[in-house]
Amino acid sequence: MTLVSDTLTWLTDPANWTGPGAIPQRLIEHLGLSAIALAVALVIALPAGLAIGHTRRGSALAAVLANIGRSVPSLAVIGIVLPLTVMIDPQLGFKVYPTLVAMVVLAIPPILVNAEAGVVGVDPDLTEAARGTGMREVQVLAGIEIPVSLPVIVAGVRSGATQIVATMTLGAIFGGGGLGRYLVEGIAQNDDGKIFGGVVLVAALALATEAAFARLQRALVSPGLRAPGGDTAPVPGIAET
Amino acid sequence: MRMIRTLALGASLLVLFGACTTGGGSKPTVKIGSVGFDEARVVAEIYAQALEADGYTVDRAGIGLGARKVLLPALESGQIDLQPEYIGSGLASGYGGTSTNDPAKNKADLQAILDTKGGGITVLDYTPAQDTNALVVRKETADQYNLKTWGDLAAVQGDLKWALATDCPTNPLCAGALKDDYGIDTATIDLTLLDACSTPMADALLQGTVDVAELCSTGPEIIVNNWVRLEDDKGTQPADNIAPLVRNDYLAKVDKAAFEKILNDVSAKIDTPTLAQLYYDVAIGNKDIKDVASAWLKANGFVQ
Repeated sequence: MTLVSDTLTWLTDPANWTGPGAIPQRLIEHLGLSAIALAVALVIALPAGLAIGHTRRGSALAAVLANIGRSVPSLAVIGIVLPLTVMIDPQLGFKVYPTLVAMVVLAIPPILVNAEAGVVGVDPDLTEAARGTGMREVQVLAGIEIPVSLPVIVAGVRSGATQIVATMTLGAIFGGGGLGRYLVEGIAQNDDGKIFGGVVLVAALALATEAAFARLQRALVSPGLRAPGGDTAPVPGIAET
Repeated sequence: MRMIRTLALGASLLVLFGACTTGGGSKPTVKIGSVGFDEARVVAEIYAQALEADGYTVDRAGIGLGARKVLLPALESGQIDLQPEYIGSGLASGYGGTSTNDPAKNKADLQAILDTKGGGITVLDYTPAQDTNALVVRKETADQYNLKTWGDLAAVQGDLKWALATDCPTNPLCAGALKDDYGIDTATIDLTLLDACSTPMADALLQGTVDVAELCSTGPEIIVNNWVRLEDDKGTQPADNIAPLVRNDYLAKVDKAAFEKILNDVSAKIDTPTLAQLYYDVAIGNKDIKDVASAWLKANGFVQ
């Protein structure tokens, strides 16, 4: 298989590991913008999801917005916002902001929906008991609902983060950085090693992101909810996603 | 529109029956492909309709299929039978040959390579129209730096932001020619790589993201935006005339001379202003590619 050997040759070529446009630089660009996108998505989606879950109000509206966010193709989002963002900045507004917006739009639905569903799924006996002891609403949310539903909330963040990392590759079509450059350039330059080397890197990054958040998710199960002997246990009243 | 299409369909059916009664060679379905951008698609559609008018059945699934990377293997493996190709770029970036600004030589060199590909592929006559890689700047940039030629760019290369085709760094006609003939080093300039002749490329120039963009010389955005196309004063860019590439095994199944004559007659009528107008009608006029193709064929007497 020349494809496999081309890919291995490209991945192991020292020239692809140092200097401008090399793998470490592209990886940092990829992770940097992905982290910013995730942070923006969290700031928007997490408070909204928690508030909706706690108050049980606005869940229909949230579901509609989340579904729109899920159904619009990322490339279309980029195309729609690009004419607006270039007015803000002709450089970043062309190469960076449209992709950033697309990543945020795509990451909001899973984070918001899981935060809401996690809080809604907390056993009412727990929250009623908490209120009975005189806890205020903020304390109920912060002290009971969030800790109990944390694995579900983090599952949403995990799904959003993985989608962000995958969507970041589209930015290369508009001159952006990141690992997507290898796919776009490899196709144009008729270089199979570069294309599939890029594919391997993007896939590995998505899997690593998924694995890292899966670990985080397990680590965040409240100690009081852990089954003896195991570090995860089905939480009563919470649907795993 | 619907009525025009219905009439066009009726017309082609009439021609079809006419062709049947007069006999002639077998006319198996011809599978036509093209690269993705509007200009190539409209030329492919013109060839398709010209063949339909003579009674051939056309499978258009391959029109707009994608880059050469996708299209050439499809042609070599017989998934498509025919595609319009830019012979200069096809020779250089598709098959690793060396293209010149002499279209006859480009055609001969491409034919020599294609004789051995996919059981033999024939390059038919090329169009008088040429679509060359063009470096384009906005009017104000041209005035500010007094730019007329590619050579003028060398002195101010560091002051400008550039957008070149994604394959440029490895393309001898792009990065190679810029460096060797003009002293413009693509490794040191502020460079963004975008799809050649694409909407993002034109947008980047329009929005001021870049100051110099590589576009197709027939690109309608150049006229619409009153941009300045700089002269390739050292003549480095290949002559990109368009010619249909046809698989020999398909030609063997049909009346070869008659089939080739249909396409060659059409190609002979496509000159550079025609090509630019067709491209303009589709890309800027937002007209349907099939309508643009049939209107042109009617205007030039190829179909009634």
